[in-house]
Amino acid sequence: MKLLQTLLATACLAIASSQAAHADALADIQAAGVLKVAVPQDFPPFGSVGLDLQPQGYDIDVARLLAKGLGVKVELVPVTSANRIPYLQTKKVDLVISSLGKNAEREKTIDFSIAYAPFFLAVFGPQEAGVGKAEDLAGKTVGITRGSVEDLELSKIAPASAELKRFEDNNTTISAYLSGQVGLIATGNVVIAAIAAKNPPRLPVEQFKIKNSPCFIGLNKGEPALQAKVNALIEAAKKDGALEQLSQKWFKAPLPDLGA
Amino acid sequence: MPEFTLWDITRNLLLAARWTVLLSLIAFAGGAIVGLLVTLARVSKFKALRLLMRGYIELFQGTPLLMQLFLAFFGLSLIGIEVSPWVAASLALTLWSSAFLAEIWRGCVEAIPKGQSEASASLGLSWLEAMRYVILPQALRIAIPPTVGFSVQVVKGTALASIIGFVELTKAGTMLNNATFQPFTVFSLVALMYFALCYPLSLYAHSLEAKLHAARRT
Repeated sequence: MKLLQTLLATACLAIASSQAAHADALADIQAAGVLKVAVPQDFPPFGSVGLDLQPQGYDIDVARLLAKGLGVKVELVPVTSANRIPYLQTKKVDLVISSLGKNAEREKTIDFSIAYAPFFLAVFGPQEAGVGKAEDLAGKTVGITRGSVEDLELSKIAPASAELKRFEDNNTTISAYLSGQVGLIATGNVVIAAIAAKNPPRLPVEQFKIKNSPCFIGLNKGEPALQAKVNALIEAAKKDGALEQLSQKWFKAPLPDLGA
Repeated sequence: MPEFTLWDITRNLLLAARWTVLLSLIAFAGGAIVGLLVTLARVSKFKALRLLMRGYIELFQGTPLLMQLFLAFFGLSLIGIEVSPWVAASLALTLWSSAFLAEIWRGCVEAIPKGQSEASASLGLSWLEAMRYVILPQALRIAIPPTVGFSVQVVKGTALASIIGFVELTKAGTMLNNATFQPFTVFSLVALMYFALCYPLSLYAHSLEAKLHAARRT
């Protein structure tokens, strides 16, 4: 899967760099009257499904907010962390609002807006696990989602004797922890908050922080007009309290300072 | 977060199972038609055609279905051909299952003793007539168990279509597990539904085998 992503990303890069941006995405969106947004469906509270299997969550509400700001309708396209970038690069969506973290590797292929959602990564485990720093992971097994930012970061700092068990999506990682297959889990604050709300038997508590990495909205390269518009809408939503309201609704916590 | 009852989970899984069934039918029907043509080409008299089909089979058997789906959906649109998820899934599943079916059926055709085709030739039947009236009817009987065995694989293989946005049984299962955090309930139900789809296929194969054997004895 990882190989596949790399291959595809390379192919996309090659093609994207060979063709100049002939159309302006912002103008296209306004002409079509529809904003197509890739949203998560396996990552509460950013996005999960309701009783009718329709997506709902922080990212979905942000997508609606932006569409309203642009004066167009919103079309939600549910994606997974493995295929959200290909959806964007092949222009099957205009924006990726899917708890997307920013890193140098991704910045080569797509552009980002300013931060729109709080997110920090940490290793979590039972209260008595007593893991205070990366070195304490020696000889322990940590469940982690393959290809995620926490995977990249923890792989760098974890001692060689720590085993990182990689799973295909967040959901499987959580299941592995809840069913006792792994003793520790590396994931985001928001995931843990969502699990905690369900009162599971093995309540995970924070052991140590890996990285503070707020989320950004992803968009195709060479779309300065769309990027500026999205940034302006996020700034406005921060000022008028709309994002604060969404944070309270989905994270049950006030919106922290997201930085630039 | 809404609270899901057992019925909510079951209902949503049943709705998603429709796509699993539909994708399976497309894969199997498409695969059977293309597969039959590939089989015939694979056992034909022309060496170039045989080699070409061998390459086709090796290509689709030797690469992961997940990758084929991925390329059919994202790859084609990279080179400027816009395809809907349905077209991409139908294309990839058809190619994939046709390769496997062709290889299964080639084995069945070649299992028919050579004397049969020689006898047909001596009766003045053309190659196509010999295939149609002598070889294929006999090969059909041997082909049933492995074909049904493969069709069960097809049903389970459709789960991979979730990579291009299909919410079929497995995908719905992971989505529901995420909203409910009840992996055992959700995935037990998913497994049960797959079993309910696949077991009748196996039963049908048994009855078909029995029927065709009886016909042979009379």
